[in-house]
Amino acid sequence: MSVLSSTQSPASTGGVPPSSAAGRVRVPRWRRRLRPYLLIVPAVALCVGILYPFLLGVFYTLFNYSATKPVPDFVGVDNYVTVLTQGEFWHSAWVTGLFAVLATVVETVLGVGVALLLNRSSLLGRLLEKVLIVPLMIAPIIAAIIWKLMLWPSVGVLSHYLSMIGLGDLTAIDTAGKAMFWCVVIDTWIFTPFVAILALAALRSMPRSPFEAAAVDGASPWFTFRTLTLPMLWPYVLVAVIFRFMDSLKVFDVIYAFTQGGPGNATTTLQISAYLQAITYQRYSFGTTFMIVLWAIVYVVSMVLVRYLGRVQNRSAGK
Amino acid sequence: MTDTASHVTTQHATGVARRRLGRVLTTVGLLAYFAFSLFPVVWMILLSLKDKQDQLTTYFAFSPTLDSYRAVLGLGDADAGVPFLRFFVSSLVTSIGAVLVSLLIGVPAAYAAARFSFRGKENLMFTLLSFRFAPELVVIIPLSVIYPQIGLFDSYTGMIWVLQLVTLPLIVWILRSYFEDLSPEIEQAALLDGYSRTQAFLRTVLPLVKPGIAAVSLLAFIFAWNNFVFPLTLTSSNAQTVTVGSLSFIGGNEAKFNFTAAAALIAAVPPLVLALSIQRFLVRGLSFGSVKD
Amino acid sequence: MAASGHDKFLGAGLGSGRLSRRSLLRGIGATAGLAASLPVLSACGFGGASDSAGSAANDISGSFDWKKHSGQEIKLLLNKHPYQEALVANLGKFTEQTGIKVNYDVFPEDNYFDKVTLELRSKAGNYDAFMLGAYMVWQYGPPGYLEDLKPWIDNTAATNADFAPDDFFPNLLQAGQWSFKNGDPLGGGKQWMLPWGWETNVVAYNSELFTKLGLKPAETFDELVELAAAIKQKAPGAGYPDMYGIAVRGSKSWATMHPGFMTMYSRFGLKDFTVADGKLEPAMNSAAAVDFTTRWASMVKASGPASWPTYSWYNCSGDLGAQKAGMMFDADTAAYFQSVPGASQAAGKLAFHPGPKGPDGSLATNMWIWSLGMNSASKKKAATWWFLQWATGKDHLTYAATQQSHIDPVRKSVADNAEYKQRLSNTPGFLDTFDAVVNDTKIQFTPQTQFFDATTSWAEALQKIYGGENAQSVLDALAADLKTKVNS
Repeated sequence: MSVLSSTQSPASTGGVPPSSAAGRVRVPRWRRRLRPYLLIVPAVALCVGILYPFLLGVFYTLFNYSATKPVPDFVGVDNYVTVLTQGEFWHSAWVTGLFAVLATVVETVLGVGVALLLNRSSLLGRLLEKVLIVPLMIAPIIAAIIWKLMLWPSVGVLSHYLSMIGLGDLTAIDTAGKAMFWCVVIDTWIFTPFVAILALAALRSMPRSPFEAAAVDGASPWFTFRTLTLPMLWPYVLVAVIFRFMDSLKVFDVIYAFTQGGPGNATTTLQISAYLQAITYQRYSFGTTFMIVLWAIVYVVSMVLVRYLGRVQNRSAGK
Repeated sequence: MTDTASHVTTQHATGVARRRLGRVLTTVGLLAYFAFSLFPVVWMILLSLKDKQDQLTTYFAFSPTLDSYRAVLGLGDADAGVPFLRFFVSSLVTSIGAVLVSLLIGVPAAYAAARFSFRGKENLMFTLLSFRFAPELVVIIPLSVIYPQIGLFDSYTGMIWVLQLVTLPLIVWILRSYFEDLSPEIEQAALLDGYSRTQAFLRTVLPLVKPGIAAVSLLAFIFAWNNFVFPLTLTSSNAQTVTVGSLSFIGGNEAKFNFTAAAALIAAVPPLVLALSIQRFLVRGLSFGSVKD
Repeated sequence: MAASGHDKFLGAGLGSGRLSRRSLLRGIGATAGLAASLPVLSACGFGGASDSAGSAANDISGSFDWKKHSGQEIKLLLNKHPYQEALVANLGKFTEQTGIKVNYDVFPEDNYFDKVTLELRSKAGNYDAFMLGAYMVWQYGPPGYLEDLKPWIDNTAATNADFAPDDFFPNLLQAGQWSFKNGDPLGGGKQWMLPWGWETNVVAYNSELFTKLGLKPAETFDELVELAAAIKQKAPGAGYPDMYGIAVRGSKSWATMHPGFMTMYSRFGLKDFTVADGKLEPAMNSAAAVDFTTRWASMVKASGPASWPTYSWYNCSGDLGAQKAGMMFDADTAAYFQSVPGASQAAGKLAFHPGPKGPDGSLATNMWIWSLGMNSASKKKAATWWFLQWATGKDHLTYAATQQSHIDPVRKSVADNAEYKQRLSNTPGFLDTFDAVVNDTKIQFTPQTQFFDATTSWAEALQKIYGGENAQSVLDALAADLKTKVNS
């Protein structure tokens, strides 16, 4: 393992061993077998603690709990039937999927691109690398408010300068397309650094020898990129993609502050719908049903993606 | 390490002109991205230095004032009437608390998952990961009922607890692959030297994963710090955080964007300081330590 | 070239195909078992409703004494607002007068009502009194979260002789009353909140611009449409770059519907719902309503703000203040605070007008009220009532209207106060406008518990019409959807 080669050896970190002559005390077998369970007890306890509200949430969805029904009736799976047969849910699901795909694709391409450029190690790159993470420091909710201010057609700075080059109309958020466009841009602004940092980390940990061999053979840069860099980078980038995609499926802050789901229902994602139902309209059961269904979708999608990731990683490891 | 790594993707054997073109394109690309990335931050800084009458203007030239910062922090006569410092303390306590709890719980779990095989391991790991992907609102309605009943509503403990959804999965999953990356021989050697298993872990393994812990703790801290929905719905005046608190300046008779910008910038200081202080770990930490041959 | 060790990255274990379907099913099974073993869920899972026994007001007897609850402490939940600031500035006086100490928390409007909802639902009684509006009564009242204040008002032992409920403008007092029966008009024997502050919805305009271009405020809706178009066309050439005609709210929120839109809608004699046999019938898709809605949307499209579907109150008032909007049809306070010296570039140039009349000359106006209500879970109801009668009493409101920015008085005596009149006379048209609409200003919506869903959906429909969809079909769909929701 190469980790060893670049770091200290265990002996040098440990100080003086207690009694090397006496050898190890034999740990009884049962204790050894118990060990992993002891280690995970806190995590399991926490899981149970966190699962409790989840289960309570599922429990609520079987009732018609709302502000006007503080003592609710049991309604079985009625809420699920209503949610799944309503156009509202499916429309929100479509909007959510569209947003998640757009945002993830743009952030991945841009993030990897930025990482590749930064990895070329110019003085400029080294300077800029230090501020790469800055947009992640601004809370998404605030970022969306600042973007909304910059895009304010009458007094916003972006509107002002974009209109000077004839693009002023772009910042008038009056159509579904433009609303979605800017939501993706804002999300991209916030989260591209996340992808870029992970991709940069991957680039930095790549083995040198294949590239040196390719250089000796006189391979073109594009060939090297396509056949070496990209395949080796992909498993790493895929992790970022999964995190971004899953996060985008439950997007809330940016849209809540920027369009509140409008115009019409053009940017009404599932979490926005659920927020309206559960918090604004105070239909607790119905809103929670939206979320449980979303959770189920995210769960299945993440399982598929995580499995795919496993295959990719195994393949790249040559297994 | 930066230098050596960069060689590998630097093109060889092509003409000087082509290399120069590549360098120009690299520079242009970087400048374009960072203009996009940094402009909003620059604009926030300018906005925070503007006064009430200038806040809705698009010019860069104005007479700067620190009044917004004074107002947000409640210094002098300019007090905006918002207990921002209290929000700030809440954010610090809940975010740091959440990360520490996650480390305490997550490091052993990640180590166990990496080193041992036991029943239900993958189920447990996937359940933990699925928390990260669960929509926040699923738990908010139930928690808004449970929390007041057990006294956790609007409390630090309640926030730290619910923030585990944000911080724990990230920490467990990243550290698990970290531990898997380390050869078991490291501990074996220590065990042979007469250390107990715990000592072996603390003295040999932990120092090796330090960059990883630093990097992932920072990411977890940032996500906890920036979380909006949980403090929005599960806190009131005591444990409210800066993300929700920063919105306090848009309301009443006018929207004070200059105050909001100042508040957001003050709120960005702790994660920024942390990021800068572990800068050398950040990329390396996530790339697991070494250049491989 | 196999990258040894390269496989172990972030999610090395993330998948690896180790999660079999069987183990997943086992996990689900375990989860279900866990759920079944939690009977506690059903026991304390829900909040439950409040019981409404006799009013605590009946326990107060003897003669009224401001100092009766001296030494007690109460806590308020407040929304950030100039009215709230006026109240906070005067709290010392209350403590001096009664010996009751007042603590408070302030939240911005964006999340204020979420906090109120959570607080009331928890029934913990952490806050004794809070700010609310009529629409919130429709939501908070039926589950029993609000204290009926009528017995307190009626008890002379509990209420100071100078309180004079008749001094409130009648529509305001009535806005705090309701039977909790969907469709029933406001009024009745219960008082769920007390008038404290309010806002009328009228037209504010840039008088400098109007003088320059020789324009006059519109008296009819057709004139308003023309006027807005004329401003958009001429103002940029008259030294107001990028100025458009009229600012109105447009974001996807219930708050878009209640100011300008609902006011003009009501002046056309239109209703949101009609009531027949105790059932609500959505009326926003009637022929006249469709016609008006279409005209409103096309006015906004032609002469309104460019990003109208994202416009909330601060965008509207900000544009008016930045001289980017020639007119604004919104709360009078929103424009007033832009006209205060030093507040904006349009400060000192803003004037008020009641806005266009309906075809029959109607000046029906929708209002927003900031009232004060008592938490039914409060453990200090008497002391809280002492506070409420003081905060909505003549002394405080006169102080707030004359020394602070509590404009739009809820009491006739304050509206007639010479010092108040003197102060507001500096803002052209403000007092005349106030007088012109005050008696026609009331809650124009039909009281019903699904108010927030109905109005948010309505705002969504308005955005769709603005976006070019057919008004009739959009509003028909809205009506069909709401019909089941509001009657269930």
